[in-house]
Amino acid sequence: MTKINEASHTEIDQSSRRDFFRKTAVYSVSALAAASVMAPIKISAEDDRAIIEEKKWGTTFGYPVTHNLYGQPSPYEHHVTRRNTQLLTSGNWYASIAMCPIHELNGIITPNGLFFSRSHGGTAEIDYNEHRLMIHGLVEKPIVLTMDELKRYPSVSRIHFIECPANGGPEWRGPQFPSIQFAKGMMSCAEWTGVYLKDILKDLGLKKEALWMLAEGADNSHMGRTIPVDKVLDDAMIVWGQNGEALRPEQGYPIRLLVPGWEGNLCVKWLNRLEFASEPFYAKEETAKYSTLKPSGKAIQHFYANEVNSIITSPCPDKPWTALKRGDVVEIEGLAWSGMGTIEGVDISFDGGKNWVEASMKGLVLPKAWSRFSLMYQYEGKPLLLSSRARDDAGHIQPTVKQEREVMGVESVYHRNGIATWEVTAKGEVNNVQVLS
Amino acid sequence: MFKSYHKLVSTILVATVASTALLSADTGASGTYMNGKKVIDGGVTYPIRQGKTALYFVNETISTQPIVHGRTPTANEVKHWDIDVMPDGTGLPEGSGTVEEGDELYEEKCASCHFDFGTGGAGYPALQKGNAYEGRDSLTNQRNSPDDDGPIRVFGTYWPQASTLWWYIKTGMPHPSPMSLTNDEVYALSAYILSINELEIEGEELDDEYELNREKFLKVVMPNRDGFVPVIDGPKGPDNVREFFADTTNYGNGTRCMHNCFEGKPLLARIKGAGISDYQPPISIKRELPPKAKTTGEHAGKKTYEASCAICHATDSMGAPEVGNKKAWEAVLKKGLNSVEQNAINGMGGMPPKGGTSLDDEALKEVIDYMISVSQ
Repeated sequence: MTKINEASHTEIDQSSRRDFFRKTAVYSVSALAAASVMAPIKISAEDDRAIIEEKKWGTTFGYPVTHNLYGQPSPYEHHVTRRNTQLLTSGNWYASIAMCPIHELNGIITPNGLFFSRSHGGTAEIDYNEHRLMIHGLVEKPIVLTMDELKRYPSVSRIHFIECPANGGPEWRGPQFPSIQFAKGMMSCAEWTGVYLKDILKDLGLKKEALWMLAEGADNSHMGRTIPVDKVLDDAMIVWGQNGEALRPEQGYPIRLLVPGWEGNLCVKWLNRLEFASEPFYAKEETAKYSTLKPSGKAIQHFYANEVNSIITSPCPDKPWTALKRGDVVEIEGLAWSGMGTIEGVDISFDGGKNWVEASMKGLVLPKAWSRFSLMYQYEGKPLLLSSRARDDAGHIQPTVKQEREVMGVESVYHRNGIATWEVTAKGEVNNVQVLS
Repeated sequence: MFKSYHKLVSTILVATVASTALLSADTGASGTYMNGKKVIDGGVTYPIRQGKTALYFVNETISTQPIVHGRTPTANEVKHWDIDVMPDGTGLPEGSGTVEEGDELYEEKCASCHFDFGTGGAGYPALQKGNAYEGRDSLTNQRNSPDDDGPIRVFGTYWPQASTLWWYIKTGMPHPSPMSLTNDEVYALSAYILSINELEIEGEELDDEYELNREKFLKVVMPNRDGFVPVIDGPKGPDNVREFFADTTNYGNGTRCMHNCFEGKPLLARIKGAGISDYQPPISIKRELPPKAKTTGEHAGKKTYEASCAICHATDSMGAPEVGNKKAWEAVLKKGLNSVEQNAINGMGGMPPKGGTSLDDEALKEVIDYMISVSQ
């Protein structure tokens, strides 16, 4: 400001533009930041003061480029955070989950600081230089890699969601959370950069009797999971990059396993060991947990893929339609995803699933990634039951709650993908309900 | 072996044959891998076609060039990190411990979270709920109404393999200090947990004097051994999984009905009462500047708190005053700071002396000061 100020005082310029600059500078210095200097006017009641008043940020310097060497969100977005609840906590905040504010996100990429986070013994803060990855067991050439050595392998970048299979799990017996962040926030989507495991294994001599791979983390929980070699040789990756930067500690810095589309728990964080074997390992998190109990008393184990699913993010309980006027044309928008393939389409119902219309997909629609759907709607202030139903290119369609319960009962905990419904009241408030018809 | 794998993944010939199995012309999806087997999870794969997988371009020369980085691990390095324990005993070391020894260890290192006799509570899992053979029958229970008994899913009634228990105790417990138990201690704790589940080994009950060792441990047969589908063991394991997930009737699928999809009005289930809204921080859509942070610089007691005290004090689930909870600490401080410090040093209620730590009195007072400072 000072420099412009000086310039406008030293240069005599008759142009109105220069005059404007000079006067603005004088006004701002005198802190008389009210009406326009171009043509002083009387402020009336209808005038928006956000327009009429000169603003501090328009009349003084902002902060210099040296201020935030790592950028931060605007302080006015401070409410956009991960959130926790004790209900989803195993006694303490170390074995717990932080939910992603999916209603506040744009597009299909989750910012790294908002990515949902689940840990079984806290977030490990690993020294990059002290971390190793060992690959051993039924391979001709076992190896151990430093992180720099690992990154010498050719990299690929892929956009995939990661979803905890317990996303929506507390609602098998009925709706519980008046919030989308807690009802569906155990998931996020990012562009991951790393190496395909098949590109490492092709030169290690994987033995033909190797059917399973144990992936284990270096954190306090030393959590392990068994993954079939079929998937390892298809699209499983070891990733170090997340949305263009290094993985965040909450996502397993320096490396995690990425098993696209499959249970988030299989995407082992702080990864330090891969062991190949001819028999499955029976880790705690694949039997005691992450198995789905059916009414027959038998539980599905090794239930890998998160099935086709969708949720309307606007409106939702956390972002209702209470500010709308009748006649407003608004977009109904949401996320669809499938761990088994690519979203083919999404239908929307206004009457709880009795009748459906097809929504449009928008933006990139990629395999095992969040995809956006959209439908324009003229708001009339009538009560609605808004549901969405996605389908994928593997031939899977989201079941109704009734259809899902007929097969799985209500004690599965994991892998719930029944159609979700929001009740929109005449006032535009949004409630979390389930349609049992 | 390397060659056969390489052939599967990268030869164009095989890829061309597999393209007959393509499902979708739009996305290039295929229900089978290049070796002709069905995709294992019931989904699809995206073979490389015209240099692309789905919408992603691929550098196909990667798969044709030998790339090996790193080095061969030493035998010691592998041994040190190979910590898993498999059902057939692979990775299970020698050692022994009695039920009684396990009971004492349990009281000392486990009961503060899992409660007496492994009854669990406050979010921490129960380790038993009575006789495991009888409890297993509860697995067909469905809680369709709030008064119904649910299925009992504890170690004895639900877990298919005992090896999982040994592995998990050794590498994951006690939660604040995993990898700290000796093999004998893990055998003793395993013996205790088997005994409180009333499990038998070859028909023999595990009384206090029962000494568990590797040989006996491998004879444990869990009541719910056959309670899981698909069967994953043996050379056919992955194929069983493949068949299971290819059949959607095993886990459910919808139909694309467009009109009049059910009779009458929709039957609704609503949230009971206000629902769960214990959120931290509370949900907000207000865009106002946050209050300025009070302090800068880290309190001297913060690190110790996080390492030693947070396990009980981070939430109120253990009955300990929750750090950050103003009301809870107002109540605590009514006794005066001096008695709070003395109680912490000598133990009080469920809290062992010094919270079970070996902190000196000064360090303990520093932690207390920290806990109070963030709870005002």
